[in-house]
Amino acid sequence: MKTTSVLSAHLIDEIKALPARYPQPRSAVMPALDLAQEELGYLTPEAMTEVATALQLDAGYVEGVATFYTLFHLEPIGKHRFYMCTNLSCTLRGAEELVEHLRGAIGVHEAGEVSKDGLFSYEEVECMGACEYAPMCRVDHRYHYDLTAEKVDGLVAERRSPAAAAPLSSSPLSPTLPPERGEGDKPKRAPKKKKADG
Amino acid sequence: MPDINLTIDGHKVTVPAGTLIVEAAKTVGIEIPVFCYHHKLDPVGACRLCLVDFSPGPPRPQTACTTPVAEGMVVRTQSAMAVQARADILEFELVNHPLDCPVCDKGGECPLQDFTFRHGYPTSRIDGPRLHFKKPIPLSENIALDRERCVLCYRCTRYYDEIAWEQELTVAQRGVQSFITSQFDQPLQSNFSGNIIDLCPVGALTSRVWRFESRPWDMTHTESVCSKCAVGCNTTMWQRRGQLVRITSRENDDIDEGWICDRGRFDYTDVNEPSRLRTPTIRGAKSTWADALAATAGGIKGKGAKLGISLPADLTNEEAFLFRRLLDGPLKGAKVKMHGRTAIPAPAGPTMPIKEIDDARVIVVVASDIENDVPIIDLRVKKAVSKRGAKLIVIYPEGVDLDRNPHTVHIRNAKGAAAEEVRKLSSHELLQNPGGPVAILFGDGHGSEDMNDLASACGALAEQVGGKEMPLYRATNERGALALGVAGWDSLDGVEALLSWGPPPTAGVPTSVRFLAAWDHLPRDGYDKAAVVLPATTFAERQGSYTNLEGTVQFLRPPVAINPPLKEAWEVLNELGAALGLELDYPGIFPIQRDAAAKTPALAALAQTPSPEPVTGPVLVGPAHP
Repeated sequence: MKTTSVLSAHLIDEIKALPARYPQPRSAVMPALDLAQEELGYLTPEAMTEVATALQLDAGYVEGVATFYTLFHLEPIGKHRFYMCTNLSCTLRGAEELVEHLRGAIGVHEAGEVSKDGLFSYEEVECMGACEYAPMCRVDHRYHYDLTAEKVDGLVAERRSPAAAAPLSSSPLSPTLPPERGEGDKPKRAPKKKKADG
Repeated sequence: MPDINLTIDGHKVTVPAGTLIVEAAKTVGIEIPVFCYHHKLDPVGACRLCLVDFSPGPPRPQTACTTPVAEGMVVRTQSAMAVQARADILEFELVNHPLDCPVCDKGGECPLQDFTFRHGYPTSRIDGPRLHFKKPIPLSENIALDRERCVLCYRCTRYYDEIAWEQELTVAQRGVQSFITSQFDQPLQSNFSGNIIDLCPVGALTSRVWRFESRPWDMTHTESVCSKCAVGCNTTMWQRRGQLVRITSRENDDIDEGWICDRGRFDYTDVNEPSRLRTPTIRGAKSTWADALAATAGGIKGKGAKLGISLPADLTNEEAFLFRRLLDGPLKGAKVKMHGRTAIPAPAGPTMPIKEIDDARVIVVVASDIENDVPIIDLRVKKAVSKRGAKLIVIYPEGVDLDRNPHTVHIRNAKGAAAEEVRKLSSHELLQNPGGPVAILFGDGHGSEDMNDLASACGALAEQVGGKEMPLYRATNERGALALGVAGWDSLDGVEALLSWGPPPTAGVPTSVRFLAAWDHLPRDGYDKAAVVLPATTFAERQGSYTNLEGTVQFLRPPVAINPPLKEAWEVLNELGAALGLELDYPGIFPIQRDAAAKTPALAALAQTPSPEPVTGPVLVGPAHP
C-alpha cells in the first residue's frame, strides 16, 4: 500500500544510505532527522515515522531523540531562524537589547513565535563558541559576528527580498561553514573558500 | 565462575564473580534501596539511590547497582557518608513528587513510601512550587500514567526496549523536564504492556482496570496460575469481598521470569460480572442441582456418537480425568471437541523445558505466532537472543514481532509448507556449527500445517543438529487433556445432544442439536432455550491443576471462595456420573488427583501433595531515619 509520503523520495533514499556510515545503524537517526527537518522546516509525527521506517527503527525511539534536542523543531518555525546567543560574553556586549530589537524587526513577541509572513522565528541559545566576536548569532546555518542593531536589520532585510527567499542548498551534515564578516575586520586566518551566502 | 569473598556491614559474603553489590547484600538480608535497578533488566545507575561506600574505592559514595563485587572488598551501607547520600537522593526524588499518597493506588506497596520511611529524612524542606503535568494520562485502555509521580528510573522504557523489543514507550525532552510518553501519544499496542505497572517503583504507572478499586492492605492474595494459555505463568490473584480485583505476576524463573501478558493480567473482569449464572435452570426455570443433573443425564445418556461434548481450553486435569471416566463408561463413543487446541499430537517423549531456551545457541521457531499464542515464551526467546546472543530462525508466512531484531532469519513459507522448509534447514549455515544446544519450537500454523509431517520434520531436524523440541500447545491444559485422551478435535456437526462444558463451541451450537446442556458462568444467547444450564465456576474459584506446554503440573489456588449454590466442577461431574449410573464417588479433589496420577504417567505429579503456598521473602529492614 503506497500512501502519500511527507518526505521526498530522494530524501528517503538519502536517509536509507546513512546507517552504513556508523558502527551502530541507529546512530543515523540524528543526521536523518536533520535532513527531514531541512526539507520540512520542522518535524511532524508523520515525518518522524517515515524516518523511523527508512532506518528500520521504531517511531517511539525517533520521537525520544527528536524531543531531546532543542535544535529539532516539533512546532512550525519560520523559514529563517535566528539563533541569538544570550550567553555571558554576548550578553555583556548587548545581546539582550539585540534580541529585543530583533523581536521588533521581525514582529514577534516571544521565542518560537513565527512572524506573520512565515519567514522568521528566533530562539535564544547558549554559547556557540564565538565569544571573541560577541555579540553573535546564527541565522540558519551561518554565524554572524559583531552584531549591531543595523546588522540585524540588514540580515532581516536580506531575507525579506525575494532573491534570498530560496532555501539554503548546503547540506546540514557539514555545518562548519565559513563565517561571514564585514570589511576591515578580517582575521589573519581567513577562510580559504568564500561561499556566497544564499 | 569463581567465588568472591567480601564483607558487607561486617557480614562475610561469598558470591559468584560478577555479582553486583546490591545482589550480594540481599543474600545477608541487607536492604540497599533501588529504583532504577531491577534484577531482570540491565543495570543503568540512573536513580543514584543505592549509594554505598566501599574500600578499596574512591572516597565518595558509589552506586551498588552497577558495581560488581571484588575480592576483599569492604562495603559499608551504614557509614555516615552512605546513609546521608541516600537520604539526600531521596530528598531530591521528593522535590517534585506530589503529596497524593492518600489517593494513589500504589500507596501501601510503594517503594518510594517505604524507602522514605526507612532511608529518608523525616521532614520535608520543600515548600516551593512542584512540577505539574496533566494527569492521569491514559497510556492505553488498561494503563494510566501520572507524570508528576514519576521518578524517571526508566524501568518501564528499559523493559520495553530490552525485554519486549518495542519502542512505543519512550522518554521525551530531557533533564528535569523529561517525562515518559507513548509514541506520539498513541495508545500502547503491546501485548506485554501491563508488566510496567509491576515494574514501576512509584505510582506513576497504574492499572486502569483496578483503579481506585481497593487498597493493597484491604485485599488478600493467593499464589495461583494463569489460565489463559498453555505457558502456565504464575500469578498472584488479589481478592476483596469475594471479588477478584487484581492479577499481578509472580516470578517463577522456570516458567515466566516474573512477566505475564496483558491477557493474563487484565482479562478477569468476567469473574465479577453481576450477571453471572448462580443457579441451575431447566428451560429457563430455576431448578435444583439434582433435577438439573437428572435432566442432563436423561438428555445425553445412550446417545453414542450422536452426543457431542465441547470442552473449554482451561479444562483442569481433574475435570479431564472425570471426563475420561465418563467417556470410557456411559458416554462411550461421544464426539469431543476441545476449544482452542492445536493439531500438535501428544508428545512421544520428554520435551524441552522452557528454562532451557536460555541456553540455546540457535532457536528455530516454526509455524507459530508465538507473540499471541504463547506470549511469555516469546519473551524468553527474545531474552536468549538479545541477552545471551542466541541466533534466531523463524519459519512463518507472515511478519512476527521477532523480526524487530535485524539479525533474525525469517523464512516466509507458503501456508502448509512449513515442514518442507524445516527439512531444508539442516543445511542452513547457522545450524552447521551451532556451538551449543539448538531449540526447535513448533506450533501448528493455526491449522494450516500437516502436523504429522511437521512434527516428524522437526524431530528429524532435532536429531540431525542435536536439538531439543518444544511443541507449542495453545489451549491452557491441552497437554493434560492429551495425556488423558480427551483433547478431541471431532466435528460436532450432526450431533443430536450437546454437553457444552465451558463457553459454547466457537462455531456456535450446531443446528442439528435437539438437547443442549451447558455448564457456563455467563448467560449467552440461546441459553434461555437450552434444556439445562448449569452455573460454572471460573478460574478464580476453581480447584484443580493444569499441565503446561512443557509438561509441568501446576495447581490452581482459588482466591475467591465458592458461593453456594455454585459447585466445584469435579463435584458436578461426580454427580453427573452418578446420574448416568457410573459410581464416581470421590469425596474430594485429592482422591481424584491420586487416582488420575496412578492411571496416567504424565500426571504423576498430581499425587504429590500440593506444595504449601510459597513463602514470601523476609522483609528487609533498613536503618531508621539518619
